[in-house]
Amino acid sequence: MSADTALAAPRRHQPIDRGSSIGLLLVALPVLLLAWLIVYPIFSAVVGTIFVRGPDGATDLTFASYRFFFTDGYSLANLWMTLWTTAVCGTLLLAIGFPIALYLRFSQGRLAAYVQALAIFPMFVPSIILAYALIRTVGPNGTVDLLLNAVGLPKLRTPYLTPWGPVIGLVWDNLPLTVLMLTAGLSSVSNSAVEAARDVGARPLRVFVSIILPRMGNSMLVTASFAVLGIFSAFTLPYVLGPASPEMMGPFMQRTFADMNDPLDAMTQAVITFGFCLVFGIFYIRSIARNREARP
Amino acid sequence: MSAGGSRITLRFDWVGLVFACLLTLLIALPLIVVGTWAFTEIWRYPSVIPQQFGLRFWGQTLARPDVWDALFLSLRLTTTVTFLSAVICLPAAYAFARLRFPGRNILFLSFLASHAFPKFGLLVAIAGIFLQLGLISTFWGVVLIQLVGTLMLMIWIPVAAFQNVDRRMEEAARDAGAAPLRVFWSITLPQAAPTISAALLLTFVGTFYETEGAWLIGAPGIRSMPVLMISFINNQIVVQYGAVLSVMLWVPSFIALMFARRVIGTGAFARGFGA
Repeated sequence: MSADTALAAPRRHQPIDRGSSIGLLLVALPVLLLAWLIVYPIFSAVVGTIFVRGPDGATDLTFASYRFFFTDGYSLANLWMTLWTTAVCGTLLLAIGFPIALYLRFSQGRLAAYVQALAIFPMFVPSIILAYALIRTVGPNGTVDLLLNAVGLPKLRTPYLTPWGPVIGLVWDNLPLTVLMLTAGLSSVSNSAVEAARDVGARPLRVFVSIILPRMGNSMLVTASFAVLGIFSAFTLPYVLGPASPEMMGPFMQRTFADMNDPLDAMTQAVITFGFCLVFGIFYIRSIARNREARP
Repeated sequence: MSAGGSRITLRFDWVGLVFACLLTLLIALPLIVVGTWAFTEIWRYPSVIPQQFGLRFWGQTLARPDVWDALFLSLRLTTTVTFLSAVICLPAAYAFARLRFPGRNILFLSFLASHAFPKFGLLVAIAGIFLQLGLISTFWGVVLIQLVGTLMLMIWIPVAAFQNVDRRMEEAARDAGAAPLRVFWSITLPQAAPTISAALLLTFVGTFYETEGAWLIGAPGIRSMPVLMISFINNQIVVQYGAVLSVMLWVPSFIALMFARRVIGTGAFARGFGA
């Protein structure tokens, strides 16, 4: 049950030319939708922020909105905050997800099934409900405060409305896909390779460094790319849990677009977001393309 | 998952126990807290458990007209999006799975590639176009933006479903003289149906909770359920309203998703994302 086997050879006795026109007809609608609502907006955002229509109606080539973004202290603070959050979340996700994935790969039984179920669970919790739950748990006078107070420990400073609020939420939210993708990557490490290394007396750490890590490079990079793409322009969790200023790019773009009523600056911010994610996006596409070629 | 060998299985699974306890604390605690708040009438600060349990706030929440408006609007939006998505994507999925046509690989890949852009940046770019078309703060504007979000899932899961149909049965039916449409209706569709219905369910639930597009495109005219939740959180009115809504909305969707996961299998999620 996977889409990897997707493009196997079609039936032989189907007349090729008839199938080809019917096939194109059937995929036309979603492809047009994709072109209109994903490809065209991206080009339109890039072109529309460079060729700006002036007050006299003439269209000029200008980088003014970009110059403004990169000289405006507040915009730069937001960008910096987004980069910081993305880096911290990415690191935490790999640091938490990797041990769980390793454990799941090499163990079985009820406890492993329970750990897997819990690690995947956040996938079924919508981020808006998660945001609400985290406010009640780690927010002021939340459950963590109650429990610390009950055992006589001092209050911790609440991460709610600080940069750590979104970090907690985003790590929670992205953990399932990280664990799933790393587990899928680990399944390409063959049992026999690990057992062979163990038989010649390699310790677990040595097995990890010499056998597992070299085979995991690609899948770690895909996992990290996917996490970065999701976190860099996250909206709901930073908007609800994060500080009002500086804010992450997601809430910043939303406020610029809707509250400040400034679509040009919002588009500029969107294009800058695309630019920062470009490397990860290209890596992600290259990797799914290669995966597809590699499999039958 | 059995590379551990006999050396490992003889020992008690301490690592597993540590993971299980930590994850229970970190994953389950926030949800238990919300569940408790939903059935709480009085919970003042230093007490670890609420002073008074009760259902009073369920009555109050359900008596609010804005809750019902948002619920019906959300159901209308979600039904429309899921229906349109199925009509548009399922024939395409069949074509990708079975027919040969020029550009098939590259087009299929382009649906997966749409995830290579940061989502909210893309939404802002789309919003810029909707602004010129006058689609901001309209029902159909939100439908369109949510429809884009469903395309990938609604294509690649059904593609796999059509691929897994037993070809020999189709050939047999053809040899017995059945017309292509009849073969599709009686052989192909019934076999692919469980997976396709799981994809529909996932799309429905995912769209129901879609917050970002609805907030960016829908505001201020279209207030769907997640948008209402955000305003409950922002305005800090009675704590229990948010908790009651969370429990009420989340439990049915959770049951639906567990069902879908059983059909699709967890690994397929990861593989679909390129792992």
